[in-house]
Amino acid sequence: MKYTIALCLLAAASLWAHHSVTAVFDTGKQISITGELTEVEWVNPHIFLHMKAKPSTGGEVKAWKIEGGPPAWYRRSNVTKTTFTKRIGQSLTIDGYPAKDASSYQWMLKVTFADGDSMESISAADAAKSK
Amino acid sequence: MNYRILSAMLAMGGLALTAQQAKRPDFSGIWQYSVATAGGGIKQVVGGKALVAVPDQSGRAAAKGGVTGALPSDNAPSYKPELLAKVKEADANQTQADNTFACGKPGVPRLGPPRKIVQSANELLFFYEDMSGDQYRVVPFAAKHREDVDPSFNGDSIARWEGDTLVVEATNFVTDTWFGEYGYIHSDAMKVTERFWKQSENMAYQVIVDDPKMLAKPWVQAARVIRPSDDLLQETPVCVEDDAHRLTNKDHHLQR
Repeated sequence: MKYTIALCLLAAASLWAHHSVTAVFDTGKQISITGELTEVEWVNPHIFLHMKAKPSTGGEVKAWKIEGGPPAWYRRSNVTKTTFTKRIGQSLTIDGYPAKDASSYQWMLKVTFADGDSMESISAADAAKSK
Repeated sequence: MNYRILSAMLAMGGLALTAQQAKRPDFSGIWQYSVATAGGGIKQVVGGKALVAVPDQSGRAAAKGGVTGALPSDNAPSYKPELLAKVKEADANQTQADNTFACGKPGVPRLGPPRKIVQSANELLFFYEDMSGDQYRVVPFAAKHREDVDPSFNGDSIARWEGDTLVVEATNFVTDTWFGEYGYIHSDAMKVTERFWKQSENMAYQVIVDDPKMLAKPWVQAARVIRPSDDLLQETPVCVEDDAHRLTNKDHHLQR
């Protein structure tokens, strides 16, 4: 778990294309939310997922908006809009940074789908190590 | 002069020109996506199998170790002293003052090298995939710029050859773009020169920005090396900025 967190933090340090992640999200914390994927916005400069979800720490089910990287980056990392849209209506878990304003808004670091498949952002250095 | 002889001479002249053109480097083709997106890559686990992909962004940055044929470069433009404070202020307020943050067109030269080039004897067609939307430029081999067009984001471009180097010169820009993400404002006098030359199968690309109203000297950017690509162009998803109202500080961002 520690390894995963360290890895995600490293990724976040270099993973943006539009604004600094720290301008919107609290990169000192992580939250995990689980729920139903309801909508995928495959737009620039960041994609958005929408879910009906609740945090792993408890609470009620709410509408969540999750922000990710730019479509061009996903496309060249072998992730497409279809990767997500084919899972609309399914349950998934997203680990990421919470919004500084404490709203139901999250920066996506890792997604775990109901079938056990997953995807997470990793640093270039860690990607090189994995080869 | 005998018409047949004249025709033969013209034909020979045409052949000679064609042969000369044939010697020119051909930049036609698809080139590596060279717009900054994000660092690192993505690890997927699909059916229990781990797959790691990291986008090649080498075309975005200055080539390491220099590039043969490149002009000496500077890390940053040299603004006239009276403009330094204005540039600094623009830089500090980038997320508010830079139109590309809100899906605006970056304009030349922030648009970067073309993703696809179609080269003919008379003109070049440049195609781009940009977060602000798909763009193109039609660049004739011509001696003079057009005088019948309004200022634009990408300017009016003409091309020429300097030996085996393709030189594209653009002028007539709107003034609400920046030529770099660090508050690099410019005037209506900006001229952008892009130099293309072959490095084996790769395309070397170097930009020179001149603005006699604002710069103390032309800014020669470091050369980049753009690799050929089999990544076919795709329509760029629409740009919808939805973060400006959430920003809690003015932290810098990476925006071409």
